[in-house]
Amino acid sequence: MLKSDELKKFVRDAAREIARDKDVASFEIYAATSENRIARINYTSDIPCRGLEEFKSIHADGFQVRIAMSRDPHEVGTAFEARDLSRESLRDAIERARSAAIVDPHFPGFPEDPKKLARASSDRSDLARVSDRVIASAAWAVLNGALAAFRRSDVFRNDQPGLIIGGDVSVIRDRIAVFNSNFSDIRTDQSAYFNASATSIIESLDAKGTAVAIGAAAASMRDASSVLGRDAVRRALALAHGVRPASGKFRIVLGPQPIAEILNYMVMGSLTSGAFHAASSAYHARFGEQVMDARLSLADDPMHAAGAMRRRITCEGIPARRVELIRDGKLIGLLSNFYDTHRLLTDEHRAEKLGPAAGASPNFPPLSGYRLGEGGGRRFDAHPGSAGTNVVMRARRGVSDRELVRAVGDGIYIGRIWYTYPINGQRAGDFTCTVTGDSYVIRGGEIAVPLAPNCLRINANIAQVFEKPIAVGARPHPATVWGSPEAYYVPAIAADDIDLAEVAATS
Amino acid sequence: MARGDLFETIEYLKREGESLLARFARTNRDVVYADLRFEVVFNRSAAAVNGEPRDSSESESAAYTTSVHVAGKGGALGHGQTGAEIGALARRPSNLVAELKRGLTEAYDRARFSAREKADLINHLGSAARGLAMPPMVPREPVRDDVEAIFQRDPRSLSTNDLKKLSLDASRDVATLGASIAYQVVAAMAELRHELFIDTAGSVISQAFAFSQGDCYVVAQDGDGHQESYDTIGQQRGFECLSDGSRSELMPNPNLSTFCVGLASEASDLAAAPVLKPPDNEVVVVTDPHFNALVAHEVIGHPCEADRALKMEAAYAGRSWFLRSIADNQIGKAVGAPILSACSDPTLDGYGQYRYDHEGTRGRRVMHIDRGVFSGFLNSRATAAALGAEPNGSARASEGWHVPLIRMSNTFFMPGETPPAQIIAEVEHGYYVCGHQTPSIAESRENFRISARRVFEIEHGQIGRLFRSGSVIADSKSFFTNVDAVGDDLRLIAIPNCGKGQPMQVKRMSNGGPTLRSRARLAGG
Repeated sequence: MLKSDELKKFVRDAAREIARDKDVASFEIYAATSENRIARINYTSDIPCRGLEEFKSIHADGFQVRIAMSRDPHEVGTAFEARDLSRESLRDAIERARSAAIVDPHFPGFPEDPKKLARASSDRSDLARVSDRVIASAAWAVLNGALAAFRRSDVFRNDQPGLIIGGDVSVIRDRIAVFNSNFSDIRTDQSAYFNASATSIIESLDAKGTAVAIGAAAASMRDASSVLGRDAVRRALALAHGVRPASGKFRIVLGPQPIAEILNYMVMGSLTSGAFHAASSAYHARFGEQVMDARLSLADDPMHAAGAMRRRITCEGIPARRVELIRDGKLIGLLSNFYDTHRLLTDEHRAEKLGPAAGASPNFPPLSGYRLGEGGGRRFDAHPGSAGTNVVMRARRGVSDRELVRAVGDGIYIGRIWYTYPINGQRAGDFTCTVTGDSYVIRGGEIAVPLAPNCLRINANIAQVFEKPIAVGARPHPATVWGSPEAYYVPAIAADDIDLAEVAATS
Repeated sequence: MARGDLFETIEYLKREGESLLARFARTNRDVVYADLRFEVVFNRSAAAVNGEPRDSSESESAAYTTSVHVAGKGGALGHGQTGAEIGALARRPSNLVAELKRGLTEAYDRARFSAREKADLINHLGSAARGLAMPPMVPREPVRDDVEAIFQRDPRSLSTNDLKKLSLDASRDVATLGASIAYQVVAAMAELRHELFIDTAGSVISQAFAFSQGDCYVVAQDGDGHQESYDTIGQQRGFECLSDGSRSELMPNPNLSTFCVGLASEASDLAAAPVLKPPDNEVVVVTDPHFNALVAHEVIGHPCEADRALKMEAAYAGRSWFLRSIADNQIGKAVGAPILSACSDPTLDGYGQYRYDHEGTRGRRVMHIDRGVFSGFLNSRATAAALGAEPNGSARASEGWHVPLIRMSNTFFMPGETPPAQIIAEVEHGYYVCGHQTPSIAESRENFRISARRVFEIEHGQIGRLFRSGSVIADSKSFFTNVDAVGDDLRLIAIPNCGKGQPMQVKRMSNGGPTLRSRARLAGG
């Protein structure tokens, strides 16, 4: 990875170079270096395997230049270049940006000089320096813990126990430097976090248990790796020979992972200025209105004390700070980047798209403009989009997880769902997914028996989950969603009248 | 090497890469295999929103991946990889060689460490770690070949204005449909990709590809009704397939503007149509080739990937309903009606066409379902060894810096002999399901819900009312077993964004099929 000073020097030199070009009225230089180191675990007791399936890394360093032309302030071009930070490479990129320029009548220019940066430092994570061996050792520790736990179980003595241990230990780190011709100085930032998961499937028991951890410190990663495999196996063992309920309408508890998954695929995309401009938000024409139960609040917080993500500035150079999205159930804020904020505020159909409760002068500060690659990490060649960091859902008058189960009475506790998508488009709010593990049948307000994995499909709408919950959990738990750049801190929620359809067993 | 042509780097590495790799293997202890993939990509794209220009870019990039296998203590195999984007740095041979050596060393260190840790774990846990005995990859003969890209207009020779104009004109044409189109984006892309594969077993393979792709996303509304639709056209050809359309036998497409206007008009009609109120019971469904492309993708293609079947993706993308265990699986068993067959074929002219995969194995047709009987998986050299099968050339990465995963190529239901009009005419009461939208699949792909763009009621053999927000829900085996008619109208559809792996890789491919008739439940909105 390039050092912050190297990025900063390149951006400074590049700014001087572009400023000499008379046909360029304004510009932005963004340089980023990112690295994703992944130790992927795959153990199968009955099929030959590698254990640590692969230890790999991907590295991406480079810069992006955006220029607006003197002859027309709306004529803007973009180009990027990997790795080569030479002057020659910069000149090539500027030429390509000229060639690619288009006249976008809605181009708002570049952000103004940001005010004082937030105080929190993003430079504290020792994961920025952690070695390959530490990551690989953590992955082997996950596997070791899982196998040791499994060895103590009765099913270990089976000829074909069908044990599967999957998951990974990943460290994602990035650094950026950004400057535009409205800024007085170059802004830099860096972050590093780990994401570790273990999935244990015991096919002879038809059981699946999982464990995940996310954090910003090497010690947390080591601690997590020592227990994740063990926990996943223990959970799977406790879920042996689950029942397969028939189709019907159920009262359910959705645990933190399902809530994170539904937020990720169904809600967060709707809470962007871009979605409102595109008339594709599930909350179309409802800005300012009650869109969730009054006990629920949702925010994105790049400074969240317990959050894995630490972002001091956005990828547009704007100080990052907490964005309140939903307060006491009312939709009051949106994730936005600089372009999308301007575009929505100047949209001639804005009143119709936001709705009557939005007021005459809504404001959507561009506090979430990130240039991210697949699965997170800042990339030199990505366009600014609107993304969250640490997504935190809090509940007033929340209850303990045990009381949530009690509130359901008879129903299902759903601990893990999969393949959750807006089946009829984002705006409709309809979603479907299957229940894949970590789940139980609830009887008489108590956890009664395990639920077989993959035996039920949920067909529902986000309104059923978030607008009229039976009860909401008091405590947010960390949760991750495969491929998502955000970390989630969310409570469990109990909901009523949810359609669950039976899925046929495969064997 | 002159600065300005990154593609020349491929020629340089064809000359020098093999000896570099051989030297590395000779001078590092315990290396049993290593390979190097290098890739140069030129990409030009443009997008327009609501009839106005929105974006345009041009890029040239280079990236590599090194993979090293070592045999450590007690024969424990360790594997390590490194991938990186190096861009214009690759234009200078000294920089390129230094970078590749760094990547090989890093991958080697990881492989050695992994082999040591594995040996220790086997030693510590004994039979509890018995699964850690992956056989070596299936050997194959060295290959030396050059594969040229197919195009009339080299993507590098286009003017940037060609793509800008194409996307803008199409977006303006959509805008003429009026106020029912609340939002629309049209994007066009042209790309030239040149890949090089070198391994320590003597293979040197150079393959080039031209890709052109057009995408359209539309939000239409009518009163309280709304419809979001998106679709893609794509060919392994030059820009001409977007500007003029393509008469490809299996995957024809109109020009970009006609395609976008058609999609937007349909969305406009759908916004005014009622939401499907599904019947309670299973019904007769006739599914068109576009809808069946997503069924083939999700319910045939993905579970036929051997890494998924062998549980290697269990923590991410799930397992396969075709393989419970090596001993208990569907190979040789009926999983569908005798009139149903499905395969993957990278030799066909589709969006998933290639000659060699990213392990240097030649791609070939793989039958998945042969007259109702399950017959085989897509594999890599490692998973072929685990399954006791021949490698069939299906390990491919989406970019030069990613490791190969097992991927579909052109994966589809094979055609029958019945005209689609006859398949519909024979239905007394049922539904005609057209155009795929969004999938949701159970963990082993044993059950699916896939939404359609349009659902028509069929009454007495005639197509009737149009509905929106309709989905097909079925258990996979039941759906395939109930197929009682297969059309003669095979079509392949370009799929631009199949996600798999950790970190996620997004891959282009084709899926398709003819019209099918089966039974399923429907869901509405």
